[in-house]
Amino acid sequence: MPEVRDRDAAGGSEEPLAVALSGVTKRFGDVVAVDNITLEIGENRFYALLGPSGCGKTTTLRMIGGFEDPDSGSIRLHGEDVTGLKPYQRPVNTVFQSYALFPHLDIFENVAFGLRRKKVPGAEVTQRVGEMLDLVQLVGMDKRKPGQLSGGQRQRVALARALINHPRVLLLDEPLGALDLKLRKEMQIELKRIQNEVGITFVHVTHDQEEAMTMADTIAVMNEGRIERLGGPTEIYEDPRSAFVAGFLGASNLMKGDRKGTAVTLRDSSTIALPEGLAFGPDGPIQLGVRPEKMSLVATEAAPVGANSILASVVDVSFIGVSTHYLLRTSWGTEVVVVVQNLDDERHAAGSSVAATWLPQHTFVVS
Amino acid sequence: MTKDAAGPPTATPPGAGQAAGAASSKSKRKRVPYLLLLPGGIWLILFYVIPMIQLAGVSLQEGSFQTGYEFTWAWQNYTSAFTAFGEHFVRSILYAGTATLLALLIGYPLAYAIAFRGGRYRNLLLILVLMPFLTPFLLRTLAWKVILADSGWVVGVLQSIGIIAENGRLLATGWAVVAGITYNFLAFMTLPIYVSLEKIDPSLIEAAQDLYSNPRTAFRKVTLPLSRAGIVAGTLLTLIPASGDFVNAQLLGNPQQLMIGNVIDSRFLRIVDYPTAAALSFTLMVAILLIVIPYVRAVGTEDLVA
Repeated sequence: MPEVRDRDAAGGSEEPLAVALSGVTKRFGDVVAVDNITLEIGENRFYALLGPSGCGKTTTLRMIGGFEDPDSGSIRLHGEDVTGLKPYQRPVNTVFQSYALFPHLDIFENVAFGLRRKKVPGAEVTQRVGEMLDLVQLVGMDKRKPGQLSGGQRQRVALARALINHPRVLLLDEPLGALDLKLRKEMQIELKRIQNEVGITFVHVTHDQEEAMTMADTIAVMNEGRIERLGGPTEIYEDPRSAFVAGFLGASNLMKGDRKGTAVTLRDSSTIALPEGLAFGPDGPIQLGVRPEKMSLVATEAAPVGANSILASVVDVSFIGVSTHYLLRTSWGTEVVVVVQNLDDERHAAGSSVAATWLPQHTFVVS
Repeated sequence: MTKDAAGPPTATPPGAGQAAGAASSKSKRKRVPYLLLLPGGIWLILFYVIPMIQLAGVSLQEGSFQTGYEFTWAWQNYTSAFTAFGEHFVRSILYAGTATLLALLIGYPLAYAIAFRGGRYRNLLLILVLMPFLTPFLLRTLAWKVILADSGWVVGVLQSIGIIAENGRLLATGWAVVAGITYNFLAFMTLPIYVSLEKIDPSLIEAAQDLYSNPRTAFRKVTLPLSRAGIVAGTLLTLIPASGDFVNAQLLGNPQQLMIGNVIDSRFLRIVDYPTAAALSFTLMVAILLIVIPYVRAVGTEDLVA
């Protein structure tokens, strides 16, 4: 969190936030899609709203775009209250999930659509469309119809069609969802490049945690209409704070224990040391987490001094190539996953007893 | 085997058997579309092309029902038919055109409302559009006779608000015929437009609004062009049969203002003047084509594909 706040401050505290939601709630019938969300997005950020389907991320985006009106709360764009304004009255543009390219218009007219509505002179339209097609690497495609393009190309057209209007905020609704894996990876890098180049705030909705981590500088993890965790990718990965975030963002091994000071007693009476950052907190029941790649496996008697370790037996071993995944089971029945880099030939066979060890600073606490 | 494979020049000894097999399955695949076309093709030839040729022949015959008809290249049938009934042609096109326009003005908003605002009642509303078609054409038209009757409420209301004169009437006027045609062909206009509107992805309209279109501009620039195919289909399905219609004019119109369909009907079945009837039929067909071809070219649908 401190890291993010610093970078926000560097952007200038006098300058209004690109997007500010305060106390925004949206209901569909009895379902609360977005539950009293407050969100502040700084200038020139790549911001991801991440969460499983139905978590309210798309509804949040649609409210920023003006496609849904909040039941309560207000939405500000660069300090200006836009709550209740129609989409065409807002200085934002959207890249839709299915791209929503106009099938009856060619690529040129698709990209020029917003400029035409704003009555920009023809010569300027031609010049700006040319620049845009150059930015998204679609030069020479201007006379084609959307139906004649590949998925990746359509995606670029949708991006160009939104960016050409110089929106102050660009909204992206699962923009890469329809692409295959390889193309998606390419477009992730491409989107990041374009965001750097045009220097405007991108608000990006996705359910793909890897995509969010690759592109975004700030991620808001949403669940059941609320923001569960907010911060930079590294920060929220290393310290997810809730069991939901720990499970949604990568894999985690969660263990229940009983806290006393900086030590936690697990079910088999072994003791785990908490990191310094978590030195203060109430005693009592607690849930700990460790990322699988932060753990290493050693023979039972060889656990290093100063490291946390738990005893377990190997249930399953799978060799992935870059790493080996071990599935362990502790004496009290909890399953633990450990990912080990294939640095040496040492393998632990299924059935053998091992100690899974990690450094105290890699321990996090979830609520 | 070698003889069999000699046909295609590429069939060489090593895989000769396979190549021949592939070639025969390939030619079979080529034949399939034609085989599929066969039933429809035979139907069309027997019941459309041959009668058309016969009709063309009849239209160039001379004679009378009593003395019998003889084929004499009687082109004068066309000129005399057109001079005698030109007025009916013009009236037919005028009535059918007006009715088509009215049906479009009623059918488009109707289809739009069902497609975009119908929600879960969509199918019910569509059934309601089709419902009148479960009663026979004749009965529906006769019902309009009651609706537009001199003592009916429609005439009463129109008289009281001064749209028609105190002793004016609707029945036996051109308006009654146009109203009847509009009503009878409304579903042919509404359904194709509905189909084209229903296919439009709502996110396209959102995209238009996102790109600074107010609802009216979004309709003009996105919804309307994307429903053009439905409009073309609907107008053709209304205009073409309406031009040849004779039931509405006969039941709702006035005997002094008949449509060309009535003339053809009476020439064929009552006066038994086959050549004139055939010549009129052909002339009507050409007239419709002359209207339809430029129309389809102007608002053509081909650039909507792909």
